[in-house]
Amino acid sequence: MNALPDRYATDDLVLRDPGDGRTLAQRLSKRYAARITGAFVVPAREGSFAPLPADLPPALAQALHTRGIEQLYSHQAEAWTATQSGAHVAIVTPTASGKSLCYTLPVISAAMQDKAKALYLFPTKALAQDQVAELLELNKAGELGVKAFTFDGDTPGDARQAIRLHGDIVVSNPDMLHQAILPHHTKWAQFFENLRYVVIDEVHTYRGVFGSHVANVIRRLKRVCAFYGVTPQFILCSATIGNPQEHAEALIEDAVTAITESGAPTGDQHVLLWNPPVINPDLGLRASARSQTNRIARLAIKSGLKTLVFAQSRSMVEVLTRYLKDVFDHDPRKPPRIRAYRGGYLPKERRAAEREMRAGSIDGIVSTSALELGVDIGSLDVVVLNGYPGSVAATWQRFGRAGRRQQSALGVLVASSDPLDQYLVRHPEFFQDATPEHARIQPDQPLILLDHIRCAAFELPFIGDEMFGTEVATPWLDLLGEEGVLHREGDRREWIADSYPAIAVSLRSVADGNFVVVDRTDGRQTIIAEVDYSAAAVTLYEGAIHMIQSLPYQVEKLDWEGRKAYVTRTQVDYYTDAIDYTRLKVLDCFDSSHAGCGQAHHGEVHVVRRVPGYKKIRFYSHENIGYGPVTLPDQELHTTAVWWQLPQAVLDAAFEQRQQALDGFLGAAYALHIVATVAVMAEARDLQKSVGSGDGAWFVSADFSGRGQIRGNDGQPATPAPGAPFTPTVYLYDAFPGGIGQSEPLFQRREDLVAQSISLIERCDCRAGCPACVGPVLAADEAAASTPKALALRVLALLVAL
Amino acid sequence: MRRGPATISSGDREVPGIEIAPGLRYTEALVDWLDPPAVVETGFARMAPVHHYRLLHFDTETTGLAGGTGTRAFMIGAADWLDGRFRIRQLTLTTMAAETAMLRTFAEWLSGDTVLVSYNGKCYDAPLLATRYRLARLPNPLAGLAHLDLLHPVRRHWKRQWPDCRLATAERQLLGVVREDDLPGAEAPAAWLTYLRGGPARNLRRVAAHNAQDLKSLAGVLLHMARCPASPG
Repeated sequence: MNALPDRYATDDLVLRDPGDGRTLAQRLSKRYAARITGAFVVPAREGSFAPLPADLPPALAQALHTRGIEQLYSHQAEAWTATQSGAHVAIVTPTASGKSLCYTLPVISAAMQDKAKALYLFPTKALAQDQVAELLELNKAGELGVKAFTFDGDTPGDARQAIRLHGDIVVSNPDMLHQAILPHHTKWAQFFENLRYVVIDEVHTYRGVFGSHVANVIRRLKRVCAFYGVTPQFILCSATIGNPQEHAEALIEDAVTAITESGAPTGDQHVLLWNPPVINPDLGLRASARSQTNRIARLAIKSGLKTLVFAQSRSMVEVLTRYLKDVFDHDPRKPPRIRAYRGGYLPKERRAAEREMRAGSIDGIVSTSALELGVDIGSLDVVVLNGYPGSVAATWQRFGRAGRRQQSALGVLVASSDPLDQYLVRHPEFFQDATPEHARIQPDQPLILLDHIRCAAFELPFIGDEMFGTEVATPWLDLLGEEGVLHREGDRREWIADSYPAIAVSLRSVADGNFVVVDRTDGRQTIIAEVDYSAAAVTLYEGAIHMIQSLPYQVEKLDWEGRKAYVTRTQVDYYTDAIDYTRLKVLDCFDSSHAGCGQAHHGEVHVVRRVPGYKKIRFYSHENIGYGPVTLPDQELHTTAVWWQLPQAVLDAAFEQRQQALDGFLGAAYALHIVATVAVMAEARDLQKSVGSGDGAWFVSADFSGRGQIRGNDGQPATPAPGAPFTPTVYLYDAFPGGIGQSEPLFQRREDLVAQSISLIERCDCRAGCPACVGPVLAADEAAASTPKALALRVLALLVAL
Repeated sequence: MRRGPATISSGDREVPGIEIAPGLRYTEALVDWLDPPAVVETGFARMAPVHHYRLLHFDTETTGLAGGTGTRAFMIGAADWLDGRFRIRQLTLTTMAAETAMLRTFAEWLSGDTVLVSYNGKCYDAPLLATRYRLARLPNPLAGLAHLDLLHPVRRHWKRQWPDCRLATAERQLLGVVREDDLPGAEAPAAWLTYLRGGPARNLRRVAAHNAQDLKSLAGVLLHMARCPASPG
């Protein structure tokens, strides 16, 4: 293996004079031009200020003076004006632009003047605690007499009563609102009767299944508020996403005034996209992202720049921290310059890290996404991302951590070997031009809706043709009546069951319950991970190697009913890959359109997924070294999908053999899945792909060389009769019962997706196909025209709009 | 497929008492039961002595133990001393719509100097009724009343001697009460639900009997404890 240059060889790049993000970006670009696939600059912005509003209560203005705030940023002043006019407001400005003051001012002044109450919702407990600490400081500075409390799972029972009665500002999270506050709303009667503001921060995190749940919790909140005769004003805040206003309006189902121009000054921001160098051209192996991240961080810190490194896993945080500490913290007599920050640390430890960062005594911090959301750590110069965080929006949110008022900042995205990373880093224009992803929710998703109508019926009876969200609830109530949990008397339907439905509904996971992974190594009984129901069949079958923080565990026993997998720590040189056959049948087509020589559709499908066995694949060489059987029940799913088809005549003309067409469809499906995942801001597991016959008669799975194999409905290899119709079809479907609304936007963007898939494959450096484009293939000796890559391109070219 | 609850049509629909409002049944019984002193010593609960006419023993029967806004009382039993005899009054819902009438009637039985007597009522019955009054948009008549919850003093005294401190145990140990044909408390929700859906009333009558016995035992346990020396500290 080619050795990398010596680890200290880059020290000549260290900035000797006090530098900033710009100078470091320039030096890196000059020295490592070949690794940098994209470089751009977000120009500096002057601050835009406004005086403190004249109608602010004097004591509050005084408190702001005491805290050194003499004027507002323009967006803070706008937010004040908008809230005072009674509008719902959405504030969308970058990280560290003083968003919280946008809601703190109206909330505190209403509390001081009218004894009005406010409910704050944050996605995590840590953010809630930060917010309360900030409120308390402001309160102390002006002796405002406003009481703010967190209310979460850690709040002791004896404190809860006091918080309900005396809290002016209650800071909680959607889960607590759902499970503890709304089902006990009568205990909060005084609070609700005086509720003026509901503040929901970080609304960009409320998307997909979680967001759809939260939108329904908000429906229930509004319903309970109506019972107490109040219609609170919503103030929502979001990091940058593509559709902030639309998303905020979808969440609260009401019009909002969006404030999107930040008045906070920023220095210019330099961004580098970095692909590690190829170290083995034959295998297409690149140097690890870790080694590159480490190198860049080391240079930055040596140059006197405050640096934050984001890693994708907790264990990677530890590894990178260790590497940096080896360089910077080898003298135990000196205070540490490097710190790690991640979930799993005690809150005390995290607070200490935050304090030290703010105080400037730490030079480098290595973190997971735990730091992504508004935790205040002061300003930084350089942010290095060890791997793509999964969305353009999250990438900018993390880059946004760097930047002081007048200084330039640097953000570097170091690509890992993951196909998504490789795609992104090879499409710098995607970054530069891309509007960040759109956040989408589907509050009327039937299963989610039914869950929340159930909870709502527990909270207050439904009367007459009452609406829930945008629909009349009656048909759902009939269903609950049949189930026996509601009793109907006249036009009232009341909860009658001896159960507490909110407990059974988790906002953060999909239906059917998560699996827990129990480590039994050396007689232990420790839960070490949780796996979603939808992923369990393909990751927790007996014999599976389950990687946790890159350590291999072997699944010894899977208790499907009990939702438990028992594993032990193991030392193996292979990983396992489930062979899963997915069969789809179209139930209903909502919409169709021409797509080149073929057609694109979206609609409702029936999915049957079976895992008959698994492959053992050796690390690095990726050779297949064995198989194992799996016995698990079939999983069935009604959901929505988008799909593409080509007519038989076109395929017969374009391909000499049907096998080639199948290979082409498999590769096209792989590439479409990658670009679609990016396009809808999906978690990869929430969107799945499949190739099958248009009439559901057969489906195609990749054999271990990456070639398509037709299988019948029993999962056995099959050959369709010569005269049978041949209409291979690529499906992308929602892996959530009933669908979660991803297929419609995908259908809208169908032409884009095909075009992007083509460009993804064309630009890939591999010869015949690889995990970054059409999926893993075995090196074969066929002609260039019939590589899986070429075949996939041929299929996609036929789908390009004429 | 889910199947709905069977709609039953039973011939046995007899719920005791008179209908004082649509869907609300009222029973009243005067029984000879113990002999209260004029002033009941309540030092064991760190309360000043109480004249017996101020005592109101109460107990609810509910649709379950889940708590929250979805649990309701379908029966309220309350008992007091009237001219030396024990008066047991019970309100039973035969329709859900009668809940407001039930809550109003119960409120009329309370006055500012009422001392409530219950078994775990501070944690269970009183908060549950508070929720129901709030949902019915009525003032909560229990708020601010003195409340003697016997569970805690019983626990303090006997938790080491007895296997548990349920009311059934206390009445057996202290009063020698042995119940016959008693409907276990856990079956009360189903008894009412069955009736509500058109089924037989037999078990609902057994709930009423169970509730009445609970009230008698409450008074018995209270008077027993009143005779105990005040607990130290």
